[in-house]
Amino acid sequence: MGTVQLFPEFISETLGLSGVLGDVVGSLVAAAVVGNIVLAFTGVAGPWAKRKITAAFTDRIAVNRIGPFGLLIIPAAAVQLLAKELIVPEGVDRPTWDLAPIVLPASALLGFSVIPMGRLGPVNLQIADPEVGLALVFAFASIASVSLVMAGYASNNKYSMLGGLRAVAQNLAYEIPLIVTAMSVVIFAGTLQMSGIVAAQTDVLFSVGGFDVPTWYAFVNPFAFVLFLTANMAEIGRNPFDIPEAPTEIVAGYQTEYSSAYFVLFYLGEFVHVFLGGAILAVTFLGGASGPGPESIGFLWFVVKIWGFFLFTQWARSALPRVRIDQLIEIGWKGMLVLSFANLVLTAVIVGVIA
Amino acid sequence: MSLEAPDTTETDEVPERTPDELEALLGDLVIDRDDHLNAPGFVIRPDAVQETLSRLKSEAGYDHLSLVTAQEYENRYESIYHLKKFDDPTQEVSVVVPADKDDPVSESGDAVFRTADWHEREAYDLIGIEYDDHPDLRRILLPETWQGHPLSMDYDKDRPQIATLPEHANPLEDHHHDSESDTMFLNIGPHHPATHGVLHLKTILDGEQVIDVEPDIGYLHRCEEQMAQSGTYRHQIMPYPDRWDYISAGLLNEWAYARAAEDLADIEVPEYAQVIRTMGAEMCRIAAHMLALATFALDVNGDFTATFMYAINDRERVQDLLEDLTGQRLMFNYFRLGGVVWDLPEPRGEFFSKTRDFLDQLPGSVEEYHDLVTANEIFQMRTIDTGILPPEVAKNYGATGPVARGSGVDYDLRRDDPYGYYDELEWDVVTEDGCDNYSRLLVRMREVEESAKIIEQCIDLLEDWPEEERNIQANVPRTLRPDDDTEIYRAVEAAKGELGIYMRADGTDKPARFKIRSPCFSNLQTLPEMANGEYIPDVIAALGSLDIVLGEVDR
Repeated sequence: MGTVQLFPEFISETLGLSGVLGDVVGSLVAAAVVGNIVLAFTGVAGPWAKRKITAAFTDRIAVNRIGPFGLLIIPAAAVQLLAKELIVPEGVDRPTWDLAPIVLPASALLGFSVIPMGRLGPVNLQIADPEVGLALVFAFASIASVSLVMAGYASNNKYSMLGGLRAVAQNLAYEIPLIVTAMSVVIFAGTLQMSGIVAAQTDVLFSVGGFDVPTWYAFVNPFAFVLFLTANMAEIGRNPFDIPEAPTEIVAGYQTEYSSAYFVLFYLGEFVHVFLGGAILAVTFLGGASGPGPESIGFLWFVVKIWGFFLFTQWARSALPRVRIDQLIEIGWKGMLVLSFANLVLTAVIVGVIA
Repeated sequence: MSLEAPDTTETDEVPERTPDELEALLGDLVIDRDDHLNAPGFVIRPDAVQETLSRLKSEAGYDHLSLVTAQEYENRYESIYHLKKFDDPTQEVSVVVPADKDDPVSESGDAVFRTADWHEREAYDLIGIEYDDHPDLRRILLPETWQGHPLSMDYDKDRPQIATLPEHANPLEDHHHDSESDTMFLNIGPHHPATHGVLHLKTILDGEQVIDVEPDIGYLHRCEEQMAQSGTYRHQIMPYPDRWDYISAGLLNEWAYARAAEDLADIEVPEYAQVIRTMGAEMCRIAAHMLALATFALDVNGDFTATFMYAINDRERVQDLLEDLTGQRLMFNYFRLGGVVWDLPEPRGEFFSKTRDFLDQLPGSVEEYHDLVTANEIFQMRTIDTGILPPEVAKNYGATGPVARGSGVDYDLRRDDPYGYYDELEWDVVTEDGCDNYSRLLVRMREVEESAKIIEQCIDLLEDWPEEERNIQANVPRTLRPDDDTEIYRAVEAAKGELGIYMRADGTDKPARFKIRSPCFSNLQTLPEMANGEYIPDVIAALGSLDIVLGEVDR
C-alpha cells in the first residue's frame, strides 16, 4: 500500500515545490493542518461536547444560552480560561513546573503524526507512515506519563505528588498489557506500519444478508478488542481509571496547582490524549478510516470512530465508579497482563497453524 | 436476619431496674438524688465517674452514653452523663457530677465510653470543666487560641478575641521532626471536594495508606445552643433546629425540640397533628437519604455522575411536597409546640394525589439506583469490606442512625421510644450486618422504602380524617414558664441518628441550659476507627458513608 501519496507530499506537489524545501514546507503545513484538526476536536469536546454529553446522561440540558445549541460557549470559555490569572505557587520547581503542561499535549499531538486519518477527497491525511508506526505511536503516547510525574513532583504539593505517583504506577501496570495486546494485531497484520494494519482489515469476514462484515480486528478477535479498550481507558486515565486525578480523593492530582493557560494546556493535553487513544483503537481494531461509501470520505468515518470512543469515555465517566489504586494495580498486573499474554499466544497459534 | 420484622417482644424483656435498685447497685458512690423528668438522676463525687459508669454499663446494661451535658450554676459546675440502653432506650439514667466552682475538675468517662472523648472536650471548650484522665483535653469547636469559655458565667463576651495567624498551631509542626519514619502528614480540608462542608481531617499517610486520621471540627460553629438559650420556648427557638441538619431534614430536627419542650411543659399534641408531623418527618428523611446517596455516589465515583443527578431529582420531588406542606423548601419552621402551624394545603385532594404520584414512582427509582449503584461490581469492590465499624465499637462511640444500623445495631427511636404516630403504623426497622460502607448505604436505601410506607399510611389516614376533627394545634399558653429546676433529655430519630435535646428550666420563659445531642457529632467520632489502615479512597468513602452534616456537627 506504499503507493498512496502521503499528506506532505501532496502539499509540496500541489505547491510545485521539490527537494528539501518541498519536504520542509510540506511537512510543516501538513503538521499544522493535522494539529489544528485535532485541536479543533478538542476545542469542541472540552467546553461543549463534554458538557452536553454528560448532561444527556444525567438528565440535564447544559449550555444552551449562547449561540445555537450553546456552541458559542467555546470561544467564551477560551477567553475566560486564558484571561484567568496564572498563579505560580511558592516553591515550585521551575522550569519543570512550566514544561510539564507543554509536554502533555505535545506528546499526544506527536502521536497523530503517524495516524492514517483517511482520505478526504484527493487528500490522504497522514503525515508519515514509517515501518515502525505502531511502536512509535505508543512511544509518543507514553511520554504523557512523564509529564504527569513532572507536574506532580514540581508542584510542591502533596496531592500533586500523590497524583504523579499514581500516574506512574498506573501507566506501568497498563502500558504492558496494552502493547502486548496490540502485538496480537501485529501478528495478524504482519506489519507495524499503520497503513499496512489498516489495509489488512479491508477484506470481508463474512456476509450477513448482503451486508459485508469487514475483517476489522474487533470482529476477528473481540477478546483482544475488549482487552485493548480497557487498557486504553487506563492508559488515557479516564473513568473508571481516572486515578491520577481522582477529584474527590486527591483534589485534582497532578494538576491541583495549575491555573489559567497551564491548566488549559493540561486539559487540552488530556483531550488530545483521549482522541489519540480513540485513533489508535480505530486503526488497530476498527479498520482505520474504512467504512461504507467511497474511499474519499474515509476521513469522516475516522472522525466518527474517534468521537465514538470519546462518547464511550464520557459514558463510562457518568456511569462507573472509580476503582481504588491498589485494585487498579492488581487488575493490571494480575489480570490484564496474564490475559494479554494468553491472547498473544493464542493469536500466534491461530495465525501460525490455521493461516 | 436483617430482613426480619422488628421483634418488639424481645425489647420488652430487657430487665428494668427501679431507681432504688440502681441506687443500691451504686451503693456509697451516690451522694444525692437529682431526678430528671426523663430519668432518675444520681449525684456522685467527681472522682467516681469511671467507677459509676462502668458499674451501670456492665452490671445494669446501660450501654449507650447518649450525651454529656455540662453547665454552670451559681455555686457549682455540673456534668451530666445521659445513659440509655441500646436494647431499650426508654430505660434511662442520668449521672450527675458536680464540680467545684473554683477548681472545676471531674473524672473523665472516656475509659468506659469512648464517645465521652469529644463530648467532654466540648464541655471543656464551652463551659470550662476540666476532665481528669482524659486522653486529649483540647478545645474542639473553638480555635485553640480562644480566651475563656463562652457558656460559663464569668465569660466576658465583649472582650475582643484577637489572635494573629502565627499564633495558631501549625498542624505540621508535630509531624516534621520525625525524620526516621516514611510517613507523610496531609491536611484533607477544610476545603476539599469530599469533606461535605468545612471539615478538616489531619491525616498521616504511609504511601497511600492512612496511619492515623483526626477530624478537626468547629469551622461551622454558630453558637446554636446559646442562641436557643436566649430565645423563648414558645416561638423563638423553633426556627433554629432547621439550621442544624440543614440538608432538608428540618422537620426531623424541629421534632427533637418539639418533643423535649412538649414533655417539659406537659403539652398534649392532637392526634391529627401527630399524623401530619409523622408524614412530614418521613418526607424529610427521604430527602435527606436521597442526598446521602447522591453525595456518596459522588465520593465513590469521583465525578459528576448520573446517580448524583437522579437522586437529586428524586429529592427535588420530595422537596416540592414539603414546600406545598410548609411553604418553605429548607428552613421549614413548620412545627409549633402543641401541633403544627397550618393544616395541609388546599385543595387537599391535589396534595394527596401529588404525594401518591411520588410514592408510586419511588420503587422504580430505587430499583434504578440498585441497578446503577449497589449492583455495580466496581462499586461493590470499592465499598464492601471497607470502612469496617464493628457493632461493639459503634455502641462504644454512641453511633446511632443508619451508621449503627449498618453495623447491625438494631436501634431506632421511632420504634424503641415511640413518639408521634409511629407505633400505630406498619413499618420495619432496617438493619444490615455488613458493618461496612456498603451496608450503611444499603440501610439508607431501604429506609427510604420504609419511609414511603409510613407516608402512604399517613395520607390514607389524613384523607379519611373527619373534617370537624382536624385539630392541628393544642391549647398552649402564650408564654411558657416550666417549673424552676426541671430538667429533661428527649431524643428523636433524625435522618442521621439520635437527635436529642437537654433542657433545664429556671422558672423563666427561656431555657437556662439548652444542649443539643447531635448524631453527626457522635458518628463522626468513629471515623478514625474505620479509616486507620485503609487507603485514602476508603477514608473518603467512609466519610461519605457516615453522611455527616457539618451544620449539625458544629452546631
